[in-house]
Amino acid sequence: MGCIILNHVEKRYGKDKLSAVQDFNLEIKDGEFLVMVGPSGCGKSTTLRMIAGLENISSGEIYIGDRLVNHLPSKDRDIAMVFQNYALYPNMNVYENIAFGLRMRKLPKHEIDMAVKKAARTLEIENFLERKPRQLSGGQRQRVALGRAIVRNPQVFLMDEPLSNLDAKLRVQMRTEIIKLHKQLGVTTVYVTHDQVEAMTMGNRIVVMKDGIVQQVDTPQRIYSSPKNMFVAGFMGAPPINLVEGKLLEVSRGALEFHTRKYSLAIPDSQSKKLIDKRKAGRSVMLGIRSEHVHLDPAMRETNPHSQIPGIHKLSEFMGADLYLYAEIGASQLMTVRSNIDQGSRENEKVIVTLDMRKALFFDLDTGENLLHDDDRMEG
Amino acid sequence: MKTTSAIRFSGLWRRRAKPFRLTPTEKISAVMLVLLSIFMLMPLVYIFNNALKPYQELFNYPPTIWVRNPSMQNFIELWAITKNSAIPMSRYIFNSVFVAVATVVLVTGVSAMCAYPISKHKFPGHRIVFGSILVTLLFAPETVAIPRYLVVSNLGVMDTYFGHLLPMVAVPVGVFLMKQFIDQLPDELLDAAKIDGAKEFTIFLKIVIPICMPAVATISIIAFQDAWGNTETSTLFMQDETMKTFPFFISTLTSNMANNVARQGAAAAAALIMFLPNLIIFLIFQSKVITTMAHSGIK
Repeated sequence: MGCIILNHVEKRYGKDKLSAVQDFNLEIKDGEFLVMVGPSGCGKSTTLRMIAGLENISSGEIYIGDRLVNHLPSKDRDIAMVFQNYALYPNMNVYENIAFGLRMRKLPKHEIDMAVKKAARTLEIENFLERKPRQLSGGQRQRVALGRAIVRNPQVFLMDEPLSNLDAKLRVQMRTEIIKLHKQLGVTTVYVTHDQVEAMTMGNRIVVMKDGIVQQVDTPQRIYSSPKNMFVAGFMGAPPINLVEGKLLEVSRGALEFHTRKYSLAIPDSQSKKLIDKRKAGRSVMLGIRSEHVHLDPAMRETNPHSQIPGIHKLSEFMGADLYLYAEIGASQLMTVRSNIDQGSRENEKVIVTLDMRKALFFDLDTGENLLHDDDRMEG
Repeated sequence: MKTTSAIRFSGLWRRRAKPFRLTPTEKISAVMLVLLSIFMLMPLVYIFNNALKPYQELFNYPPTIWVRNPSMQNFIELWAITKNSAIPMSRYIFNSVFVAVATVVLVTGVSAMCAYPISKHKFPGHRIVFGSILVTLLFAPETVAIPRYLVVSNLGVMDTYFGHLLPMVAVPVGVFLMKQFIDQLPDELLDAAKIDGAKEFTIFLKIVIPICMPAVATISIIAFQDAWGNTETSTLFMQDETMKTFPFFISTLTSNMANNVARQGAAAAAALIMFLPNLIIFLIFQSKVITTMAHSGIK
């Protein structure tokens, strides 16, 4: 019912055919919470606006429910949208803001009243129905904007960075509230953000975009642990993934080693096999490893004797539960280690970092493609 | 308990007192502004007093500013001038009021409807349209008097209210002001309304216009003052005496006088009648300008 299908959707601007969105294919299931994430200018907002009907489609097809909506105006698409700057009508009070969409649809007065009150109760904004938007705080305004969306009972919610204007604490609070709201209403939601934390925490599935091209569509877990390319790996996750350039050397039959001038790291057999199958033995690659798979613990050294790098503890960031330690492992090459806060070393002391090579990722230097990505589960 | 509240009170007092303390520069500029406003107010005071002065007081020497024995004699005289003519003064006043109000409504409406698409619907050539509207600002009114006459005459609207209204409707300053204001509206606001199901005209009427009230108020003031004091349309396009406006009537009244002592009182009364609506309109819309400016916080 509330599914959305995008079929080869493209958006080009101007005569020089500059593509803002290229060949976008996606099926969003009914009731799904889909997050589109990417750096600014990657085309995620444009895609959302095309679904909303605020932007024309250069080519391709968009279906909402069972209807082709390419030429349907926004108001007939049965969607509701929440904007980054709330876009509340400043001349109307909260009640009128929420009721506006229903009034435009010429619903009888008592129905409008009931619907507005119900939406206000859901979002706990009953107490300021009489106020004007300027008398509300950012969080309250965003609630009103959400109220304006849910009151119409649409098939699809579209949210364009709705939390970006809120302060950090409120953002986290509203995030959980939007998740709750989605669970409660079960309405298909497309959510655009540039914040990878929001993407990871909120989405059933995530679409990572860059320069108008979809990089990967998958669950948050798989996006994080098995990114399709170097961009996805680097964009998702905080602190960012560690990337080291080196060469793959075949030390014996079927066994590879990741080799730089300073150190060599043994690669487990299963990974070696895949890399050899891809004819990468002897080639330069980029090794990617997340900070939680890099250890300072001496116990790890015994179990992984062939994946150690000597380094110097350069600086550390105290994060509360964790400590991010930056170890210099080569000329101006820092490796981030997520460690316990009570780890022993001090700044400028020597440390030995141990890499959990089973979790290591290898990327092609030219294409950025993840060489270990299993292609059988590409797009959903 | 008492002492703490006293301390709190004194602290409060000190905090409150701070903004009212003026720096020397502020004091000087305050004095200057007060003097300037007195200077600017003088003509208004003079108009009010003159209108109420009986004849003998009007010609007192040395002249006085304040009226000693206020009377309505001048107004009665003004009324009496038209007593024996075919057209009573009320007709002129009616014409003026009707034309001024209609002009205000038309000018604000047309300016807004012109500015909205230029600002928010970037149709091909919108820059050229806006540019050509601005270019018309360069022409002095005198240069367009003859073409304007030809247009009005060929349209066949001489001696009708359209003859008064049509030449006044296009106000480039109004379009400019309105466009600048609408430019500030975030596009998301209009997008939100579109998704809510509002038609283009509903968006314009229910969202754009209410938010742009400061601009509407400013344009209303400009349009009213232009229309109320305008004698040009009466002189050029109206041959029928019943279609002429009050300022035209007054100009005939005073221009025939030269240095004549007669009717000076009536002229003073007429000046007050001419001036009062301007003041009232300004006071009404000015407060509107300030209140709407205060909550222009759209975000």
